[in-house]
Formats: sequence, C-alpha cells, structure tokens
Amino acid sequence: MLDVRGLCKIFPAPKRKKGAPVMDKDPREEGKLFHAVRDVNFTCRDGEILGLLGVNGAGKTTTLRMLATALKPSRGTATLDGVDVVKNPLEVRRRIGFLSGSTGVYGRLTPEEMVTYYGKLHGMDAAKTKQRMNEIFALLDMETFRNKRCDNLSTGMKQKVSIARTLIHDPQVLFFDEPTAGLDVISSRTIVDFIRRCRDLGKTVVFSTHFMSEVERLCDRTVIIHEGRTFFDGSVDELREQTNQENVDEAFLTLVGGNK
Amino acid sequence: MNKILTIYLKELIEVLRDRRTLIFMIVLPTVILPLLFNVIIGFVVEQEKKADAATIRTTLINADSVPGLKTFLEGEKGYEMLTGFKSEDLKAAIREDRLDLGLVFPDDAAEVVEGGYQLELSAYYNNASLTNKALSRIRKAVGNYSEKKRGEKLAELGVTSAFSQRGVIEPVIVRKVGIAEKREIIGERVGGFLPYFFIIFCFVGALYPAIDISAGEKERGTLETLLLTPVPRSYLVAGKFLVVFTSGIISSVLCLTSMGVWIAIKTGEFGQELGEIIKSVTPMDLILIGSMMVPLAAIFAAILLSVSVYAKNFKEAQSYVTPFNFLIILPAVVAMLPVELDWKWAMVPVSNVALAIKELVKGTMDYTMLAVIFGSTVLVGAAGFLFCINWFKRESVLFRN
Repeated sequence: MLDVRGLCKIFPAPKRKKGAPVMDKDPREEGKLFHAVRDVNFTCRDGEILGLLGVNGAGKTTTLRMLATALKPSRGTATLDGVDVVKNPLEVRRRIGFLSGSTGVYGRLTPEEMVTYYGKLHGMDAAKTKQRMNEIFALLDMETFRNKRCDNLSTGMKQKVSIARTLIHDPQVLFFDEPTAGLDVISSRTIVDFIRRCRDLGKTVVFSTHFMSEVERLCDRTVIIHEGRTFFDGSVDELREQTNQENVDEAFLTLVGGNK
Repeated sequence: MNKILTIYLKELIEVLRDRRTLIFMIVLPTVILPLLFNVIIGFVVEQEKKADAATIRTTLINADSVPGLKTFLEGEKGYEMLTGFKSEDLKAAIREDRLDLGLVFPDDAAEVVEGGYQLELSAYYNNASLTNKALSRIRKAVGNYSEKKRGEKLAELGVTSAFSQRGVIEPVIVRKVGIAEKREIIGERVGGFLPYFFIIFCFVGALYPAIDISAGEKERGTLETLLLTPVPRSYLVAGKFLVVFTSGIISSVLCLTSMGVWIAIKTGEFGQELGEIIKSVTPMDLILIGSMMVPLAAIFAAILLSVSVYAKNFKEAQSYVTPFNFLIILPAVVAMLPVELDWKWAMVPVSNVALAIKELVKGTMDYTMLAVIFGSTVLVGAAGFLFCINWFKRESVLFRN
C-alpha cells in the first residue's frame, strides 16, 4: 500500500529579470520560493491502478519523483508498505520501477546489455537476471532485436527496452510519468497494453497523465492534482457523481474551477 | 563494491563504443600527435637544408679595389655573382627578390688595405626572414679569407708558428667547464614539452567521456532512471569517476608511449647526444613520471565530472568545460618557461606536476619535494572526488530544468 500524507516540495523560484513585468505569475510562487507541490494526499491499495491527473505543471512529475525517491519532500510523508521514502530510500527503490515519458535508453548498448546492467544494479545474480530477462523479452516480443544496438531501434522498440528495464527486478509498484506523452498511436498502445498487463500480474501502478481518456479506460482510482494540491481522490464514477458531469473532461474543469 | 565495478564496466564499454571519444582518447595521441611532430620538424629541417644548399644571388659593389678578396669570393661555391647593381639599388632589388645579398666595399677600400687597417664591408640582405642564411654564409667565407690574410701578416712580422700566432691574437682566453650534465641541459629544453603534452592529453582524453556519462546521460533521460536504482550515490559517482579517470590515464599513457616510440625512431636523425639522454632515463624515472599523472588525472576527472553533470545537455557541458581548458593549459605551460621547481611552485597544482616531470627527465629531482607534490596532488584529487559525491547528491544539480 502506498500512503501519501501532506506531501510538499519547495524549489527556489525561477529568476526573473529585474523590472520585467510579471505577466504569468504562478500563485504558488511566494517571494524567492516556488511551492511546486503544496499539499498532496492519497492512498493506493495493492493491485490498484491509480491515475494522477492534472494539467501541465500541476505538480505531477514532482510528486512522482518524490515517491520514487529522486527528490526529497520538503514536508509531509510517503510510505510504501510502511517503508518511508525519506528514511529508507534504498529499500523503496528495490520495490519500485520508474518509467518516464522522457526516459531514454543507452544507445551504444544492446537491449540485453542494458537490461542485464539494471538487473545487476538491483543486486540480482546473473542466472536470475538472465532467466527473468528471457521471460520479459518473450512477453514483450523483443527476441528479434535483443542484440542490436539501441541506437538502431525504432521508438516503439526503445519503449519496450525501457519497459523491460523497469521490470527486470520484478517491482511490486510501478510509477509511470506521462508514459504516453509524445508517442504515436502504436507506441502509446504498447504502454497502455502494458499497464493493463501489470494489473493482471497484481502489480500496483501509479501513472500521471493529462489525457482524461486514459484515466477513464485504465484507472481504478483517480487523483486530481491542481496547482500542487489534491483536488480529488476516488473512482471515475465518484468524480462524475461529485461534479454532476457525465464527460470526464468537463468533470475535471468543474472541479478545478476552470469551467466558468 | 561489485556494483561500482558493474557501473565502471558498463560506462567503459559505452565510452569505447563512441567514435568521438575514441578519436580524442586514442587516435589523437597515437596518430595525429606524432604525425604533427613529424611534419613540423621535417619542415624545419627541410627549410634549413634548403637554405644551406640554396645558391645565393650576390652582387659585389666596388670590389675591384680589393682584387684579392674579389677573386677569393668569386671562387666560393654556392654563389651566383650578378653585376649591374648600384649600391643605392640594393634595397629595392632585394625586396623585389632579384637579389639575395649585396656586399658593398667602402670607397677607400684600397687605401685601407694598403695601410694595413681593418676593412669593413656592408652586407645588404633581408633580415626579416628567419631562414635567411645569406649573412652567416658570407661571413664565414669572408672570415676564411680574413684568417688567411692574418696568417700571412703575422708571418711577415715574424710570428710564424700557428701556436704563437694564437698567442698574439688572443693572449688569454677562458675555457668553460660547465658542471651540468648533458642530460640536464637537453632535459631543460625537451623536458618542458613532455609534461605539457601529457597533461593536455590527459585532460582532453577524459573530456568527452566525462561529458558523455553525465550531461549526455541527462540529455538522453537515462540519469534519472539510474538514480532510482538501489545503489548508493557514492558508488554511482565512484564508477563514473573511475571511467573518466581511466580515459585520462589511457590517453596520457598513449601519448607517452607514442612519443617514446617516435623519439626512439628519430634518435638516429637527432644524433648521438639525444639518444644517450633517452637511454639515461631509467624505467624508475618513467614509473615516477607515470605515477605523477595518476593523482592529476583524478583531479581532472573530478573537475570534468562536476562541471558536466551540472550542464543540462552535451552542448552546454562543452561550453562550460571550455574555460577549464585554459585553467589547465596555463599552469602546464610553466614547465616550458625557464622556471625552477622550488617550494613555492611545488604548491601550485598542475604546475608542480609539470615541473616535477621536467626535473625527472633532467635527472635532478629532489625526491622529498616529489613526495610532497605527489601527496598534495593525491589530497586535491581525493577532495575533488568527495566534492563530486556531494555534488551528485544535490537536486539542484541533477534536476536542473
């Protein structure tokens, strides 16, 4: 179970030129500080698929990065099966897989070399890594290009390499940061199919997106983040009910107050 | 520890599969550098030879007043005697490249010679050209004539033997008994260049790998993933640091080897002296030179890695690293200047290593000082490494978007 309580992240505010008119000041900017995430709360039970919904810059990526131990929260706590992300980051990292839409692959390595590398970094022995890699490669249909340099692979193939890399240590919880952003229909289909498959395997998935349709199709639970705060935590049906809107886009806009 | 090795090997494979890195790390020191030396030195030698062998187009003005000298010079080889020039035309003629040398006898030359006084000739030539041998060659020729005349005159005065003639010309002379060994003298000249090249190559060879495995990894979006593996940050930095360090060492060892091989091949052309000096550099000296480069490579690795991981992408890293090129080159240049290694210089990083290598080549190293320089360089390198680890823990460095 993933439990997030009062999560908060403060960055130094972006520098502005002196005297330049401030046209687009974010309400989260206070003096020299920028409160990217102010107060995020939600829970995600084992085996659930949770969609983190919000517009660009809402604080989704920062939240996920804190959950995945890349960034340290300024305030608040997040625990994974009782393990605190701040106090015991190495233990949390063993249990999670993280895939971001902007994740790349090592162009000069082959998929096999890359996945083996991550297996080793997760402390797996060679035999187990190999066995698991073969399973994943078969599952994702990667046999034909497992020994080609990643530089020579198509976007879709690279995507699969990234997925294989995320899965090699058999993580219980998977974080996806806008996994389909900038992908064509076929590539994003690979990802969506994969998220579904994760549910079948009993894994917990947390993914961020700004596509309402993805949330509607995939998620057991939706968390809406706006300007660094949680606006909603519940199922899509509950969202419709609460806002009195059948269309999810409309429901979202009603909730965050953009529907004037 | 195993994980450090895993990271190290993976990064090394990646670096060795990158063509750009290979060119800077391997091809530059082994192929380009010797080739460059060959071309430059070959060119200089060729120019010298050419200048020595070239026929000098010469005109003698007013030479009829001293017929003996005129006949003597006309008999010399390597001159083409031209006529029809006046002394006021000489400047223009030489400038327009119709003439190389104009030798003007004074109007009263005949009387001067008759009276037994010193005759002064004026040589017009282009002294802006470095390869111009006209003056030195004509001086030598006239010198020969002058010596012959002197012998004759002294004989007339009754000083006949060559021995006593020397006594008359220069009753007392000072003979120099320099105590410096040949190795020291040539080492002073050659020894300054060597560390300069080792240091530059150590830096340049490590440059692209450093950018590639930090800023490059950021740009490709693989750094974040790497940071989320259950590997302590210090291991991660250690693995990457060692790769950059190795690249620097490889590059500088290749530079050392290729220069060694090149010098060995060229020894014959340079003559016996240099050959003997190279032989007098013992394997122990080479080991010491190499071991001085080790902590220096660590310093470079720390600088390069910290600077390039701060950058958002490859291009930015390249521009951030550029000023550091100068920071490295300037202190390395010191070894090529007439600077003596003293305790003051021993405290200047990079310069101290460059000067120590020069002293090692010369064979005049103070080993206490060497130990201190080595120790202090190791300390700076270690501090750099620790800084790197800390630097890699900062969110503002890793996620600078």
